Amino acid sequence: MAQIEQSDKGKKKKGAQKKMPIHVDFTPMVDMNMLLITFFMLCTTMLKSQTLKIALPSNEKVQNEQQKSQAAESQAITLLLDTERDEKGQPKFDADGKMKNVIYYYEGAPKLDANGEPLKDQLQTEAFLGNENNVQRGIRKILSERNKTVIKKINELKEKWRNKGFDPNNEDENQRLYEEEAAKVRNDKELKAPIVMIKATDEASWESVIGALDEMSISEISVYQLENLNDLDRKMLGLPVETPAAAPAQ
Amino acid sequence: MGKVKIKRKSTLIDMTAMSDVTVLLLTFFMLTSTFLQKEPVTVETPSSVQEQKVSTSNVVNVLVSPQGEVFLNVAGEVDPDASVAYAKEQNPDLTAAEARKEKGKWASDSVRREVIIQAISDYNGMHTSAPVQLTPDEVMQLAKLGTIGMPIADLKKFLALSQAEQDQVYTKFYKLSDEEKEQYNRQKDVIHVGIPIDLNHDKTNEFQLWMRAIKKVAQRSYPNLNDAMTKGEGIAVKSDRRTPFSKMHVVLDNLQTLKMTRFTLMTALKSQDQ
Repeated sequence: MAQIEQSDKGKKKKGAQKKMPIHVDFTPMVDMNMLLITFFMLCTTMLKSQTLKIALPSNEKVQNEQQKSQAAESQAITLLLDTERDEKGQPKFDADGKMKNVIYYYEGAPKLDANGEPLKDQLQTEAFLGNENNVQRGIRKILSERNKTVIKKINELKEKWRNKGFDPNNEDENQRLYEEEAAKVRNDKELKAPIVMIKATDEASWESVIGALDEMSISEISVYQLENLNDLDRKMLGLPVETPAAAPAQ
Repeated sequence: MGKVKIKRKSTLIDMTAMSDVTVLLLTFFMLTSTFLQKEPVTVETPSSVQEQKVSTSNVVNVLVSPQGEVFLNVAGEVDPDASVAYAKEQNPDLTAAEARKEKGKWASDSVRREVIIQAISDYNGMHTSAPVQLTPDEVMQLAKLGTIGMPIADLKKFLALSQAEQDQVYTKFYKLSDEEKEQYNRQKDVIHVGIPIDLNHDKTNEFQLWMRAIKKVAQRSYPNLNDAMTKGEGIAVKSDRRTPFSKMHVVLDNLQTLKMTRFTLMTALKSQDQ
């Protein structure tokens, strides 16, 4: 392990102390350290998970119809989350066993034909596509287009926040004031921000639900709701209309 | 002509510098790491652009497998001094010795222990014909395990197994195909996987029973956990990206019934371009 090298070069004067350079072989030490590093690298999570906050309405049935928040028709958008289906209506999987998320949406109240059946062609199809070169695509484009006045104002506030316009001396205060202002803009009724209803079919993936909730925060939409599919929606999607069997007997 | 002398060079390489580097790296990893939580089923969370980090202390983790089995895990306070600070705030005349007794009182183990005792007494109140009795040792063993993912009636049987066999229960279950899993959970004399949960609004299922027990215990003696649960950071729902919404709907609906309408959903980070 540790060698003591004796230099035999040159002749030394007699009586002079021999210098003995000590070499310790560190190879085993390095080996062991590498093993430990590998162990720690494999056993750790470097990234903590992110969280998405959500508040759902309470489950108690709203008896009074007036209490129900009736979304103004012109502002309402309903997103129907689903997966790509084959001819039989079963979810379609691609080669990797993944489902493809599809979003159908319609604006306002569903349009009905003379028999009270919903018109199928009012559904428009979109997908989660994200941005490309800072240009919104897919469902994000539609939502941000509808909410552009709010987004514009929020962007102005963001700019001000970046330049520490709210409180140049105090970082926390700057942040707090910005958030306060931004919340005010998001909830401003004058701006006619869209109200979004998110409904997912039974087969829709959790990914698409999270994706839809995420789109809300990206497009600065403050009023949205996660709702259950009703019969009209099922008819529009071409799904079998089922009366919930689990409904408790009254 | 003189012969060219070939000098014999030593092949020893000085490893000191290398060793220095590896030790530095090792220190870095040791200091920054948090160990992976042992979970009965590995899930791949969907991604979002949210940047808020999930808290590791004072949180109830609800894990939903792609097939809809539910697992619960409660984490208490990581910082052992949190309860000391709280006790001092409540009672400024506390002596140092008395304050020291408070140390570590809010740790995960003690929260879980109380939750288990509470849940089992609630369960026995509802099932007087077949009560479940756990010894203090068994309760402690269960509290150390962390994740709970079976009906209360099966707990005793599960705890009688050795640790390796306990792990096997989950790993074996998740090797089965979807139909086999259903079949397995329909069998009578096995340890069922997943906390029983359903959409029946009239009857309390075991998921609700656990959540109520956690809330009760938090209200009684863990103000920080209670706070987090009310604000919503204290309940984290985690599931796989492929989980069908029908399974998640059951969990969300039960949380709504419990009036725990504020909670967080665990996601991975992505950029706006994805």
